[in-house]
Amino acid sequence: MNSNKKFTIMIAGVITVVIFWIGWVSSNPKDEKAMASFISVEKLLNDKMKKRTKLGGLVKDGSIIISETNYLDCSFVLKEGAAELKVKYDRSRPDLFKDGAEVIITGQYLDGTFYADELQTKCASRYEGDLRDESSYKLTEIET
Amino acid sequence: MDYIRDYSLVFIFFVLPIIFVIQPLFLKKINDFENQMDLSSLKRKKRLLYRQIKELEMEFDIGNINQKDFETSRKELKVEVSEVITKINANKI
Amino acid sequence: MTPIAGAVALNLAFGFSILSIICLFIFTLNEDKRLFLTGQRLSLGISFFVFLATFILWYQLIISNFDIDYVARYTSIETPFIYKISALWAGQSGSLLFWLFILSIFATITVLQNQSKHHGLMPWVIISLSIIQLFFLILTNFVTNPFMPTDADFVVANGNGLNPLLQNVTMAIHPPTLYLGYVGFSVPFAFAISALMNRDTSTLWIQSIRRWTLVAWLFLSSGIILGGWWAYQELGWGGYWAWDPVENASFMPWLTATAFLHSIIIQEKKDMLRIWNMALIILTFTLCIFGTFLTRSGVMSSVHSFTASSLGPIFLIFVFLILIISFSLMYLRRSELRSEKRMESFTSRESGFLFNNLVFVVMCFAVFWGTLFPVISETVRGTKITVGPPFFNQINVPIGLILLALTGVGPLLAWRNTSKQSLIKNFTFPILSGLMAAIIFMFIGFKGSVVISFSLSVFVLATISTEFKRGISARTKKFNESIFKALFAMVSKNRSRYGGYIVHVGIVFMFVGFTGHAFDKEKEFSLTKGQSDHVAGYEFTLLKLSETERPNHYAWISDIRVTDNKGEYVTNLYPEKRIYFHKNPDVNRRQPHSELDIYSTLNKDIYSIFSAVDNENGVAFIKIMVNPLVRWVWIGGYILVIGTMIALWPRKD
Repeated sequence: MNSNKKFTIMIAGVITVVIFWIGWVSSNPKDEKAMASFISVEKLLNDKMKKRTKLGGLVKDGSIIISETNYLDCSFVLKEGAAELKVKYDRSRPDLFKDGAEVIITGQYLDGTFYADELQTKCASRYEGDLRDESSYKLTEIET
Repeated sequence: MDYIRDYSLVFIFFVLPIIFVIQPLFLKKINDFENQMDLSSLKRKKRLLYRQIKELEMEFDIGNINQKDFETSRKELKVEVSEVITKINANKI
Repeated sequence: MTPIAGAVALNLAFGFSILSIICLFIFTLNEDKRLFLTGQRLSLGISFFVFLATFILWYQLIISNFDIDYVARYTSIETPFIYKISALWAGQSGSLLFWLFILSIFATITVLQNQSKHHGLMPWVIISLSIIQLFFLILTNFVTNPFMPTDADFVVANGNGLNPLLQNVTMAIHPPTLYLGYVGFSVPFAFAISALMNRDTSTLWIQSIRRWTLVAWLFLSSGIILGGWWAYQELGWGGYWAWDPVENASFMPWLTATAFLHSIIIQEKKDMLRIWNMALIILTFTLCIFGTFLTRSGVMSSVHSFTASSLGPIFLIFVFLILIISFSLMYLRRSELRSEKRMESFTSRESGFLFNNLVFVVMCFAVFWGTLFPVISETVRGTKITVGPPFFNQINVPIGLILLALTGVGPLLAWRNTSKQSLIKNFTFPILSGLMAAIIFMFIGFKGSVVISFSLSVFVLATISTEFKRGISARTKKFNESIFKALFAMVSKNRSRYGGYIVHVGIVFMFVGFTGHAFDKEKEFSLTKGQSDHVAGYEFTLLKLSETERPNHYAWISDIRVTDNKGEYVTNLYPEKRIYFHKNPDVNRRQPHSELDIYSTLNKDIYSIFSAVDNENGVAFIKIMVNPLVRWVWIGGYILVIGTMIALWPRKD
């Protein structure tokens, strides 16, 4: 067959293989941590999802409890709108993790508690002046 | 004296650019865009072709190209070079 | 008065850009050269006013004029000078102006560089560049203006200032380096569009942009590596690449740009792959705009994400327009783009490069797929499914290894067809080396992908040395030179080729560094004075815990002695726990930060993080990560830069 056809077939072949490969990995990721459903706390509580999920929200003020025996072990309450969820996390906590911090957690829900193995806090606020947060603006008045 | 500074700033940053931009419109109409350029770009093309011939020779020495292909390509390039040289000489006249 | 001048300058630039496009467009219709000259000068005028606006904004930042919103948000009186300068690209409106500033520099250079080169491409090149400038001028004039006055009914005494965590040199140069890369691809793109419009898709446009492409590629590569370096040094999670949407946004154009860089060699030498080259540069430029958009518009939630704004939709529209118009143009000019030359054999250099293009595009698509997976899954299934590093690694590691193999195979293939004897002659040594390496590694006990990665690295290094050897012996035979003279002359006369091989060496080193990940180990533990713990064959003893107050933060310093499993002393590590703004009465504005200490050797990095301190009981909570081979990534990066500089080194003519 002429060489052009040969190459076209090769290219088509490669593309087909690739599509199957990507599709296969997407449906059967080798590592359980590869994918997580990013849903609302409300939906998690309603559906009691067992799959690996990712949630976002705020740390409820005063809810952070650090274990006496193991400093790394902590629990807190994640608040998203009206929904609240008890969370346990046992890795080192990021610097910005505190009351009211905006966090994203990933892990598994089981019997009323969410066991998180990943916890991320949003980037330092004073880098991009947050339009929603007036206190990020440190305008000082001058006495007249 | 502030207004002297202000007016001179307006002149430099507003009036001058505008003059710079519309000045060509007052030249005599030249429709002949392509002509004057040929010599320098032809010379550039000649240098480029010589370099390509040299590279071809190097590839042949290394063994990246077989004898037949080497001679065919070199002939093509040499034909191109002589065409360009002819044009250059024509232009110079 | 001057801030207003800045805003006016932007207005004038906007006006000039519209005029420039109109003027040059009319020229393409009626060929009146005066219109071309005016249009060209209008383009220079756009740049002039953009420079003016940028310098005015810089001046305002330097003098700390807090009447301007942008100055108040990103600087304060205490901000060190260099970070007042870098504040230009700290925020959204400033960074868009900065993009425009760089684009204007490049546009000016392009115009001036090509004044004496008359090839008919320039009108559409300038039109294209002016349209891109126009887009950013629309944004900075009407959507997010850097000269906006501060919205306060009292005089602002001091601005917000830049977070001290972001005040380090890498953080200052990483964005501009990336931007130089992103913006740099505008010029090759403009030439591509011009070639299409002029129906001149021969090698002329390629020859005009080869150096530009290489320079832009260098900046993009450096910017990406700098970002990884900064993340590793500062962020404290022990890695340099997280497959974060914004990271991916810079990686995708890099992939298509690298393919383009290689593919244009084929068009220059054999006039093939014209369609590929057009498509690749269009994709690259589009991805650069897309990358800018992803970083600056908060559309994907990521560690980088900034506040969402109206910018998103506008950028998306621009991206769609670029794609639709460019690909329609390609379709309209399809007969000019089709080459008469045919690829003849699978074992030819041409087909090697074709396959190379394919693999790069495939990887780009894979990264694109993973990055947009949350959006796609939400549209299709209703749930947003996020994907993390394991997903990206599973898909991309095999593709990456194929690329690595290609890096070795490509240079040893001949043009048009490699004879069987050449195949044997060229590939025997590298394949044997690779196999031997594989056997040794398997014997040591490494697992599958590690063995493949290391063996391929050996293979590629063997092919590169074969290439150098072939070149040197060709010269020594022909010219009777000494080896060193031959080497020097050979590299000097073929800077792109041998510079490129050196870049490949750098890439191999980086792959070696990446492979080190398979052996990462980490452990978190608490120590009181005198206590020890172990990880990865090392013992960590807390010698001392001290505190100190510094000008802008309070610090707890741990002194940790590290010994190996034979009891030999390795080093001391001093990770710190700091609190910035520690004197601020509002507890929530105090910012804790872990200052890492890293002990780095060729073999491995010992990475220490002081996570938390229990002051009363003198307990330090330490996280240790032992990351093998990380240094190879940075060494590879340096070699990559050196190789590119060699390729770029100007010739006398």
